[in-house]
Amino acid sequence: MTTSVEAGVEAPKPPAFIDIKPRRGQNGWLSQHVGTAALGGFLGYILGHWLGNFIGSSYPYIANSGQNSLAVLLALLFMVVGWLLGIGALNHPIAKILGREAKGEVEYTGWTRYFRYNLDHKVVGIQYVVGVLIFFFTGGLLAMAIRTELLNPTVHVFSADTYIKIVSEHGTIMMMMASSVVVGPLGNYFVPLMIGSRRMAFPRIEAFSLWTFIAGYFVIFSALAYGGFPTGWTGYAPLQTQAGPGMVSYLFGFAVISVGMMTAGFNLAVTIINYRAPGMTWSRVPVFVWSIIATAALLTLASPVLTAAGLFGLLDKTAQTSFYVTEHGGSSYLWQNLFWFFGHPEVYIMALPGFGIVGEIIPVFTRKPLFAYRIAAAGMIGVALLSFFVWQHHLFQSGIDPDMRPLFMLTTELISIPTGFIFLVGMGTLYRAKIRYEVPMLFCMAVYFNFLIGGISGVFLSDVPVNVTVHGGFFVLSHFHYTIMGGLIFAFFGGLYFWLPKMTGRTMNKKLGLWHFWTMFGFFNLTFFPMFIIGLLGQPRRVFSYARNLQTLNEFSSIAAFFLGASFLIFVANLMWSQFIAPEKAPANPWDSLGLEWQTATPIPHYNFERIPVIMTDPYHYSEVGAPALADFGNGPPVHASSAVAAAIEPEQ
Amino acid sequence: MSDAFKAADKIRISDTPEEREFELRAHIGAIWSGGRLFIGMYTFLLASLVFSYFYLRSSNNGILWRPNHVTAPTAYGWTIYTLTLLAASMAIFGQARLRRGNVSEWQAAIWVGVVAALFALFMQIWEFTAVPFYPGSSGYASTFIGYSVMNILTIFIVAYWLETTVARSHWLVKEFRGVEIQFSKHPSAQSFRANVASMTYFMGFVALSSTLLFAMFYLL
Repeated sequence: MTTSVEAGVEAPKPPAFIDIKPRRGQNGWLSQHVGTAALGGFLGYILGHWLGNFIGSSYPYIANSGQNSLAVLLALLFMVVGWLLGIGALNHPIAKILGREAKGEVEYTGWTRYFRYNLDHKVVGIQYVVGVLIFFFTGGLLAMAIRTELLNPTVHVFSADTYIKIVSEHGTIMMMMASSVVVGPLGNYFVPLMIGSRRMAFPRIEAFSLWTFIAGYFVIFSALAYGGFPTGWTGYAPLQTQAGPGMVSYLFGFAVISVGMMTAGFNLAVTIINYRAPGMTWSRVPVFVWSIIATAALLTLASPVLTAAGLFGLLDKTAQTSFYVTEHGGSSYLWQNLFWFFGHPEVYIMALPGFGIVGEIIPVFTRKPLFAYRIAAAGMIGVALLSFFVWQHHLFQSGIDPDMRPLFMLTTELISIPTGFIFLVGMGTLYRAKIRYEVPMLFCMAVYFNFLIGGISGVFLSDVPVNVTVHGGFFVLSHFHYTIMGGLIFAFFGGLYFWLPKMTGRTMNKKLGLWHFWTMFGFFNLTFFPMFIIGLLGQPRRVFSYARNLQTLNEFSSIAAFFLGASFLIFVANLMWSQFIAPEKAPANPWDSLGLEWQTATPIPHYNFERIPVIMTDPYHYSEVGAPALADFGNGPPVHASSAVAAAIEPEQ
Repeated sequence: MSDAFKAADKIRISDTPEEREFELRAHIGAIWSGGRLFIGMYTFLLASLVFSYFYLRSSNNGILWRPNHVTAPTAYGWTIYTLTLLAASMAIFGQARLRRGNVSEWQAAIWVGVVAALFALFMQIWEFTAVPFYPGSSGYASTFIGYSVMNILTIFIVAYWLETTVARSHWLVKEFRGVEIQFSKHPSAQSFRANVASMTYFMGFVALSSTLLFAMFYLL
């Protein structure tokens, strides 16, 4: 009886989770796609708004105030639900109520697959690339507006009120983008390939994270339509409580994005733990994957706190609770605690994947094994753990018992130790290396340069006396732009130049890539380095006017910022040129990398590998004569490191 | 035809029994670790509420943490708590029956759990009409409203997970044509059992966290 299915008369079909035959999807425009999602979002918005007004009309305080935050919240909530229904994200959860098992993956063909709820991690990765670039360019345009305003201390382009709202929107959009900029596109695309997996653990959750992330963009952008919000990206109360309905967009937008972050991290962590190919032991996992699992842990555990903080804020705005209203038994410091308990791990959510990319790229261009690989992995886990114990340094000037300051100063300084490990791993790899200065490598070198400045200024800022002195000024602003933009965004572009040939099968134009790099690197430093000085001279953040003697430095910074903005247009031009206008087929492994992701066919088949590979060593045995075989791919002799190394060093000889 | 399909057709992706076994093990592992990670994630969500409760309680700004020791309606609280505990207990009890090979008893237990959870959900929403304080009247009042909203989410997840699992079991019983799904080595049956195990583990977590939160908001 117990084994009769196996011995059985007629066993049910193999379930989707082990099947590798995707169903062909219908490409018709009647099926679900981004158009139906937009329609669902629009209808949801209308319905939610009507419902909010219907409910709100019976409450005098809403009718008297003329601001119905409930209507705004319900409109945005229903918009997100409608969007997810329209794209098809909720089809399976609804079908499950009837007991239906998940259907196999649907393979859509042609370019329309990028506009659908696609379960292929490679398609999701490319959808994420486009998504984060839209975020980035929107936030970048707002940055241009900020620098335009700061050209002159007395002649204003915007009012003070509009200026702070632009700053707030810029900060929020950029932080939302930065939390997913590597994990979303490159993590989703390359983690399964790097661990030798044919699939993600939960492809529906992966796709859900993407479409939630995009919905979050619309929600946060809707703040402008509601008059914006004046709190900066940190959303501090009591300003938060006093702000108009644009604040609802901020709070709900962050809550939506945090759900996307949680689900993305959850899926990646579970995939890395369970779907590593045979032989892919923890000591052979690529350093990029280590960075992603450390980040995934932070995303999974820190983001729920942001969701809760957002929920409490929304209840304050709509149900008239007083979580953050000190006069009614709440506390504005509660928001600061909850926000930064997420917010500081968030900094490492942004930094770690950047280090992962760099750690993956530099051995390829130095033809050396990654120096102290295990230290790098340990450093990433150490940073992830410690990041939960430092959030109070954001409250050095508020809401903290002064006697607690030294403790959090110490924990903050401690975190620089594992961070330093990661940095030194890079330096050790570069030491006495014959470096090939290709575009991705240049971006990696820039990461080290920029992060050194950002990191050292961060160590200064962790000390209470310095922190108290420069708090709320341009010094802090410059510090975090050096770490986040100088570290993460440079690493992201390095990763794009490195992996785009694998993702699209087309080579990026090197000359345009070099122009992009040098202009971005030069003007980035010219924009942000003067801000350290501006900050030390006393210019506060988020204020549209400043002392006359700071005008020259501000003008300098603004003009450099415009060129920095223009440098991204070179990237866009390169992308268009190389991918669409004059596409040039990329070699199978243009950088002679030993990474597992480069060993499969290009374009990558739907299930990645013809056979699940058996891994024999880590992928960093560059220039090692007699290095062990990398992996057995089951379709010929095992791929050996020395053959790839020989091919790589031949041109130099 | 897409590039990916051309390439896939060209190299004829297929799988071997070993590969299927590998995929199955990975899938079962994913359900196991996913279930645990979900509990970790949910713990942080609830911990935010617990932190807020004690933060506002110890701050007691304006002596407005809990004026006159107002309490949410305890009758509702006990009812919701008991029903949630019943739903969680049914999952735990049901799994013991399933392990002994009794699918129908497991199904009956889970359906009882679903009904209990839905009733708890209804009561949790209905309680808003009986709360004897204004949401913003005190720190306690605010955190209670926050707790209620989070509890709605928790109970919804409980009801959804129980219902979808038991609904799936009915399909499986039908598909397997009388073969006992609790012992079968078929991938679908193994996946189902892993899901039941993860669900039961989560229900244990819900029982514990509900007890803590109930004590905080109704007893302390």
